[in-house]
Amino acid sequence: MLDISLQIILNGISLGCAYALITLGFVLVINAIGAVNFAQGDFVMAGGFLTVVLAEFMVADNFNPIRASGVIILPLVLISMACFGFLFSMIAYKPLKNRPPVTVFISTIAMGLIIQHSINAGFGPEPQIGPALISSGTITIGTLTISKQQISIILSASFLILCVGFLMNKTQLGRKLRAASQDSEMAESIGINGPQCISITFSLAIALAGAAGLLLSNQFFVTTSDGGLYMLKAYIAVTLGGWGRLDGAVIAALAVGLFEVIMATLVSYVVAEALLFAALLLVLLFRPSGLFAEAIQRRT
Amino acid sequence: MIKLPKFLTIFAMIVLFPISAETKETYIPILVPITGFLSLEGTAQRNGAIQALDEASSSLKIKYEVSDTSTSPEIAVTALQRALSRGKPVAIAAPIFGTQMLAMLPIAKRAGVPLITVSGTAKLTELDNPFIFRFFPGDAVVKVAHARYVTEVLRAKRPALLYQTTAYGQSGYSHLSKALRKAGVPLVFEEALAPSVKDMLPALTKLRASKPDVILLHLHSTPTALAIRQARNSGIELPIVAGSAMHQPSTAKLLKDHQLRGVCAETAASPISETHPKLIQFTTEYKKRFQTLPDAFALAQYDGMNMVITALRSGAKTAMDIRNWLATNTFNGLAMKYKSDGKGNMGHDATIVCYDGTTKTPKITKKYLNVDGTFN
Repeated sequence: MLDISLQIILNGISLGCAYALITLGFVLVINAIGAVNFAQGDFVMAGGFLTVVLAEFMVADNFNPIRASGVIILPLVLISMACFGFLFSMIAYKPLKNRPPVTVFISTIAMGLIIQHSINAGFGPEPQIGPALISSGTITIGTLTISKQQISIILSASFLILCVGFLMNKTQLGRKLRAASQDSEMAESIGINGPQCISITFSLAIALAGAAGLLLSNQFFVTTSDGGLYMLKAYIAVTLGGWGRLDGAVIAALAVGLFEVIMATLVSYVVAEALLFAALLLVLLFRPSGLFAEAIQRRT
Repeated sequence: MIKLPKFLTIFAMIVLFPISAETKETYIPILVPITGFLSLEGTAQRNGAIQALDEASSSLKIKYEVSDTSTSPEIAVTALQRALSRGKPVAIAAPIFGTQMLAMLPIAKRAGVPLITVSGTAKLTELDNPFIFRFFPGDAVVKVAHARYVTEVLRAKRPALLYQTTAYGQSGYSHLSKALRKAGVPLVFEEALAPSVKDMLPALTKLRASKPDVILLHLHSTPTALAIRQARNSGIELPIVAGSAMHQPSTAKLLKDHQLRGVCAETAASPISETHPKLIQFTTEYKKRFQTLPDAFALAQYDGMNMVITALRSGAKTAMDIRNWLATNTFNGLAMKYKSDGKGNMGHDATIVCYDGTTKTPKITKKYLNVDGTFN
């Protein structure tokens, strides 16, 4: 029983880690522009499809599983998705930056749909499977069977989260990004290029979504309709963790992943989902700024 | 009265009444989900319908247009109303999504246009609507065959079931559990999963604790592949008898050959497994046109549209003529022989296919003919 419990907890953590990457990108954009990027889930799906394409491209001439492993593809996905993020900010945000936040979030919904339908038109509706990060096998320790992919997801996601933490807190670029997101006018008055910071934030957020797409594409496959699901999970995690809080978002995303699998095991999936939404409602009712309340200002 | 020369009369007739001189175009809209969680099945439907209508275009003038019904009943209803406003369709290829069909049925009845679908939701043909024709055998057929294979061939005593929370899942669950109870082999475990569930281990853990001797799945394509892979990775080597999603080549593609060992599926047909020359020709042509392999949904929709085409060739001109022809005639399709049971259920056979663990092409293991006794 202990081995099963450990296996389930491991599943919850690996799922939570992937959610954390998505949520982190989500919060970065909220902090930067004060509006929600509803295309974040579709970028997770796009990252999954990009992974599939890159993996096929790498093994097209000469099959070599090492060449096609996710860990080799990950940097390519991060760079490509960062470029998409930059383009996305130019198309979906920049022309509307002086409009009310609702305009921007409608624009991101539209862009998400365009991404989804374009990929559907290009790839067809068939679900795809991405490569394993290192190996898709299992490790057996006594009676405990651990998937190598799960361990890889946890390690890769943790590494990326730490990198974001380091970037935001310990580097000059991170300080600029934070300054621009806290008060763009004041930041610009001291020589920080606000629009550039926003574009960099979009690039970072969408690179993280792409990384999550890669991590999830092997274990859970990838289909064009996946975006909405990931978006919903990120939204719940952000609401629970506190709008604008990076650490809160990561903790809440992990909690959502664990909560889902533990409750599904103890009771059922339907009850787990109902309880998750009940928790969300309670937080909105009694602590609308989230469990880890934002210290600076309330977001719209 | 001035007498016109004969040729002038003919000329005047052609100029003044051009419609009577040319063949009238028959309008058949294709309303299927091309985006959303049923896009795989919806695309198969679209492809099957297009192939049938294109093949008929050499002898009949048919105009068709494809509209995406996505995943909501509202979009499906809007697509139907738009199709009805654009012309006088004689029949409509309608979505596989049961929830959308339920919303479309009253409108089709008011308009008097038959809906040609492959939706498996049992409720659709239980509403006394004379304008539905379902060319994929309903749950009353395939789930009975599913249960019979499990109890009669595998001789299972302790089946456990994972099914979807959607209308499709509920309908399948209802028929399967009823058929199993009737056979004296009730389910020892059952759990409903939303299509969005990715991690199946909690369900598989509880399922394993119930000590089943066979796993039954009634899930959509991706959840079916996820459940099988996670079961095999968790060391669960029990036989698995899945729903029709498992016969789809795109589902098998997600799994490794060894994970497919001991996996079977119920379906109406498996075009890629068939050896009949006509089916091989259909599969080859389909692959050439759409760069993908056909599944039972594509074949059923192809057969459905071909029955409509046969009705047109037999002299049916209006939507009501087509409805009456479909309701009263028997049609030899590629997948099976079709005949309405009086409620619009046209398919009455089911097939069980199994994977041997060495290839992703399943083998036809058992055919259950005339399951509901319509041809008796």
